[in-house]
Amino acid sequence: MEEFDHEVDAPRGATSREWEVFVREDTADPLTHVGSVSAPSADIAREQAAALFARTAVTMWVCPADETHRYQSDAATLGSGKAGDDATMSVDEMESETLRGENR
Amino acid sequence: MISVSKLLCDLDAEGDGLRYDAANESTKRQIRDEKQRRPVVVWNVTKQCNLYCDHCYAAADTEIADGELSTAEGKSLLDDLADYGAPVVLFSGGEPLVRQDLEELVTYANEVGVRPVLSTNGTLITEERAQSLKDAGLKYAGVSVDGLPERNDDFRGVDGAFEGAVQGIENCLDAGLKTGLRYTITERNAADLEGVVDLLTDVGVDRFCFYHLDYGGRGTEIVDADLTPEDRRQAVKRVCDMTREYHDRGEEIETLLVGNYADAAYLVEYAREHMSDAQAQRVYEYLRVNGGDPTGERVADVDYQGNVHLTQFWQGYSLGNVRDRSFGDIWEDESNPLLTALRNREEHLTGKCADCRYAEVCRGASRLRALTVEDDLFAPDPQCYLEEEEVHGPPPFDTGENSMAGESSAD
Repeated sequence: MEEFDHEVDAPRGATSREWEVFVREDTADPLTHVGSVSAPSADIAREQAAALFARTAVTMWVCPADETHRYQSDAATLGSGKAGDDATMSVDEMESETLRGENR
Repeated sequence: MISVSKLLCDLDAEGDGLRYDAANESTKRQIRDEKQRRPVVVWNVTKQCNLYCDHCYAAADTEIADGELSTAEGKSLLDDLADYGAPVVLFSGGEPLVRQDLEELVTYANEVGVRPVLSTNGTLITEERAQSLKDAGLKYAGVSVDGLPERNDDFRGVDGAFEGAVQGIENCLDAGLKTGLRYTITERNAADLEGVVDLLTDVGVDRFCFYHLDYGGRGTEIVDADLTPEDRRQAVKRVCDMTREYHDRGEEIETLLVGNYADAAYLVEYAREHMSDAQAQRVYEYLRVNGGDPTGERVADVDYQGNVHLTQFWQGYSLGNVRDRSFGDIWEDESNPLLTALRNREEHLTGKCADCRYAEVCRGASRLRALTVEDDLFAPDPQCYLEEEEVHGPPPFDTGENSMAGESSAD
C-alpha cells in the first residue's frame, strides 16, 4: 500500500492562474483528469476548457490548481530541489552579461 | 518543419531522416528516430529572459518565475525523455542561457542519448559560453533575429539586441558550433527577410528557419500585426525564390518553414508552376511522409514548471505535469479525448479543410490559430492562404507506396 506522503506542491501556473480540468464523457463514466488550462477566473477557465472538451463531455469540472493538493508516493516523483538563485542569473547579472555588439 | 532547400534544391541535411524518412538518400549523418515517431521535445528551462519580445509565446519576463524545474529534476526529465525515446530536446525559454546549469543539462542530455539543441536570442552567448556549450556537446544553436537592426530591436524591446545577437552568432561559429537563424515573419518585418539572410550569410550562417506567427502567449496580442493570407503567400514565395537563387549561385543555404502546413501544399504548387510536374510529385511524396502538422504528435513541449503542452506555442492548455507522471505516460494517455481527437483530426476538420485535396500533407495546419480566432478547434486555420482552385478536387497525385517520382528535378 502506498502512503502518498509526498505532496507535489510546486506551482502549475505558467502565465496566469491554472485550473485543473476533469470531464465525464458519459453519465456512466468516471470523472477523468484531462489536464489544466490557464485563465484569470473560473468563468474564463470554463470557457477555455469548454472550447477543448465540450464536443465530447457531459460533465466538466474546473478546480483551481493552487487549491488542489496533489499527493503521491516518492517513487513517482521527479528528482528534487529548486532551481532558484543557484541555477538562474539575477536580473543585474543578466543585464550586465547581455551583448549589444560592443566589441564587434 | 518543411525544408525548402531539400524539397526544391535537393540539399542534404541532418534532419531529413526525421522529416521525410529520407536518411538513406543522404550523405549527412542523420538524426534518426527509429523506435517510433517520438516527438521532438521543446523544454522551456526558464521563463526569465533578458529581452522582452512582442511575440513571445512563453510570455517571458525579466524576473525569475516560481517553480522552475531544478537541475536534479531536469536531469530526471532528461532520463524520462531518453527512456521514452525522444530523439531531440530543444532547450528554450525564456532565455535558456540565464540558467547557469545549462551546460550541465546539455552534457547530461548527450550522456543519456537525447540530442541537445538550443533556441536562444543570442545576446548572452559570450565567447566563453559558446565554447562551454560546444564542449558540453550542444549540436545546434538557433538564434532568433526578427528583422534588420532597427526593426529587430523594436520587436525585442532592447536597443543593441540585433548587434548582440550577431555577436553571439559569431561567437558560436568561432567555437565551431552549428548555428542558424530563427525568424518569425509578420507584417512588421516581412520586408527585411532577404536583407537579414544576406547579412547573416556574410557572417557565416547557412541555416535559416522562417516561423509563421502562432497565436500563443504574447503572440495573441499581435494577431493584427500578422500577415494577411495574400502577403503570407508572397512571403513564402520569396523564401522559395531566394533559396533557389542562392543555390543557383552555388551557395547551399538550408531554408526551412515552420508553423503553417499550408506551406506544404504551396510548395507542391510552386514546384509545379516553376519547376516541373515530376518535381511537384517528388515534393508531394516527401511531404506525405512528413505527415503534416505535428501538434500533439511529433512535437511536444515541457514548460519551466514541468507542464506538458501540445506544442511550445500552446501554453494555455497542459496535458499534465512531469512532477506528477512521466512524460511518456502523459503523452501516451489517449484517455484524454482532446489528444485522441487531435491525433485523428482528419475525422473532425470542418469547412474547406474537410475535403481539401492537400489534407494529407497539411492536416489542417494550426489548430491553435483556429481555436484563438474562430473559437473552434477544428475550424480551418485562418492563415490558410491556398486559393480556391488549389483546395478542391482529388489528391494531386497517386499516393501509393511506390509512387515516388523519378530523378527529374529543377529547371
